[in-house]
Amino acid sequence: MKEIKTKIIERIKSHFQDAVERDYDYNRLDFSVKKETIPSILFYLKDEMNFKHLSHITCVDWLEEKEFEVVFILWSYTDRLQVYVRTRIDRDHPVLDNIDMIWRQANTYERELKEMYGINFTGLEAPEEFLLEDWEGPPPMRRDFDTREYAARTYYTRPGREDAQDVRETIIKRTGEELPDFAKKYKR
Amino acid sequence: MVFNDKNSQKIVDIIENYARKSSLWILAYGTGCGAIELPPTVTSRYDSERLGIHFGATPRQADVLLITGYLTTKTLKRVIRVYEQMQDPKYVIGFGSCTINGGMYWDSYNTINALDRYLPVDVYINGCMPRPEAVLAGFAKLQKLIQAGKADGANKYKENLDWYRTNQKKVIPNWRMPEYNW
Amino acid sequence: MGSILYYTLGAIISFILAFTVGITYMGLDRKITARVQNRIGPPWYQNFLDVSKLYFKKTNIHQGIMQHMGAAFMMVTAVMALLIVPIFNHGHFFPNLNFQGDLIFLLYIMVFGQLGMALGVGQTGNPNAAIGITRGLSQMTGYEIPWVLALVALMIQYKTTSIVDLMNVQAETGRWLMFSSPFAFLAAILAMLGMFSHAPFDIMVAPNELASGPISEYGGKYLSILMSAGAVFMFAKLTLYVDLFMGGSSNLLALLIKTFSFFLIPVLYGIVSPRYRTEQAIRYFWGWPSLFGLLAVIQAVILK
Repeated sequence: MKEIKTKIIERIKSHFQDAVERDYDYNRLDFSVKKETIPSILFYLKDEMNFKHLSHITCVDWLEEKEFEVVFILWSYTDRLQVYVRTRIDRDHPVLDNIDMIWRQANTYERELKEMYGINFTGLEAPEEFLLEDWEGPPPMRRDFDTREYAARTYYTRPGREDAQDVRETIIKRTGEELPDFAKKYKR
Repeated sequence: MVFNDKNSQKIVDIIENYARKSSLWILAYGTGCGAIELPPTVTSRYDSERLGIHFGATPRQADVLLITGYLTTKTLKRVIRVYEQMQDPKYVIGFGSCTINGGMYWDSYNTINALDRYLPVDVYINGCMPRPEAVLAGFAKLQKLIQAGKADGANKYKENLDWYRTNQKKVIPNWRMPEYNW
Repeated sequence: MGSILYYTLGAIISFILAFTVGITYMGLDRKITARVQNRIGPPWYQNFLDVSKLYFKKTNIHQGIMQHMGAAFMMVTAVMALLIVPIFNHGHFFPNLNFQGDLIFLLYIMVFGQLGMALGVGQTGNPNAAIGITRGLSQMTGYEIPWVLALVALMIQYKTTSIVDLMNVQAETGRWLMFSSPFAFLAAILAMLGMFSHAPFDIMVAPNELASGPISEYGGKYLSILMSAGAVFMFAKLTLYVDLFMGGSSNLLALLIKTFSFFLIPVLYGIVSPRYRTEQAIRYFWGWPSLFGLLAVIQAVILK
């Protein structure tokens, strides 16, 4: 596994100078690239390196850095190796190249990201709404979207749920137990 | 015993309610994760068919609408249509804590919290998930209510339609439903 | 005048008998299935409760006149078949609308109900119902062939098209037709499996893939009528089989025993069989059952 990984890292680095690798697990590799490189590195991984399977496309919201990090997760059946390809895009104007000509199932994930995070994929053919129906608010999976406030505004909250905010507080009230230090910063 | 209109109506009611309570057809429409508790309820181990409870296939034939678990607004739209297609008398059972107060999805952006604001609920079964024993206990409660003639959720829905519609339209902004007919 | 009243009363009583026995048999079917699956199962009178509950429904939705007629056609077919099939050997009280050629008439009338249903479900506009009735009619083309072959063999062999004549033949010779023309009996029994649309030939009503097929838009009182019609029709068909192959029955107990033993054939065959698709069912019926039917015709021609 070690040799295979070094070989893959060497080949990727020789083709894509901006790739930053991170090797932290037994069968997992991690490349961070610029967003312009995304289609070409995915093409290269699929056609030359035998990463035939696109497992997932997901997104991390770095609110403090004002960036989205889009992660493409690939799997190679021959090398039994998982590769993450990460890229950072601007949070205010999130635009990325559409890759559903490489894997057709990418279309589904891209539509999901479009609805849940508001990321626009150039040339994505997805006219209708997908998961959210009749949604009018901001994309709900962004971290600055306050789900609790939205739920309290839209849905009726049944009385009796007020004390259900944190289980730990209820326990402290009942038993006088000490709250650990790390838990205090999550206090609501 | 005097046979006037009231007395004979009482006897007819007893017979009708007995038939209704002994033959409850569930609409096989699993809305949430709770639907997984229904197969053990109707198959060999708990065998609800001995109480007359089994699956009816379509809304036209079914008597009981089981809301099994959380209801997203997207599903709520379908559930309302299904409920209105069912034939009177019809009953709703809220199944699991998600239907009572939202359960673990109480602050989610697309699940409703209190089912009885959108549909008239006759019996709630709490638990996350309720075991098949609890489901059968809930059905026994419903049967008692039916025999006593108190399970009149459908009438409640008809009489307070405005209130229910207001609540429903609040969470379903684009109300594109077909014309109303019972 | 008196005789008309007499026969009307007889018709009503035979209808009540057919309804009671048919619904009870349906309940026993559910009970037997439950016992085989190691369940307790519903009580034997569960189907009475189901029918009455459906009848006590307060609302009914229909999409048009033909949907009314679909349920009515089924009921009419069932009652007509019941009135033509002689229930007892020498039933003075029960009406006997028998005539020369009633076997051929029965062949037609038994198809009539499903064709009426097809018109009815056409109006509901439900795609499941349309698929269901299409499958039902295609399956009918399957089992009609051995069934017609069996009846034709009987007609050729005994030179009659009347059920009463066939019963008289059995009474005279003292041998049931299931022994004197065994191939016709085999073909008819195998066709019966499909005719009852019991498992494994229940693709028409398959509740978990088609949402109960043709009846998916029928609820409340319509479904109650359809269930009653099914029970009556089932009893009529069972009685026809008893009349044709077991020499009819002279009293109620013999009738119940004979019809129930016939009824057990599709029930027990269905419990242990998975569901056939339409083309599998048609291939099944056009295989051995049709061969038995052909053998029956050949035997009839030779023995004539």
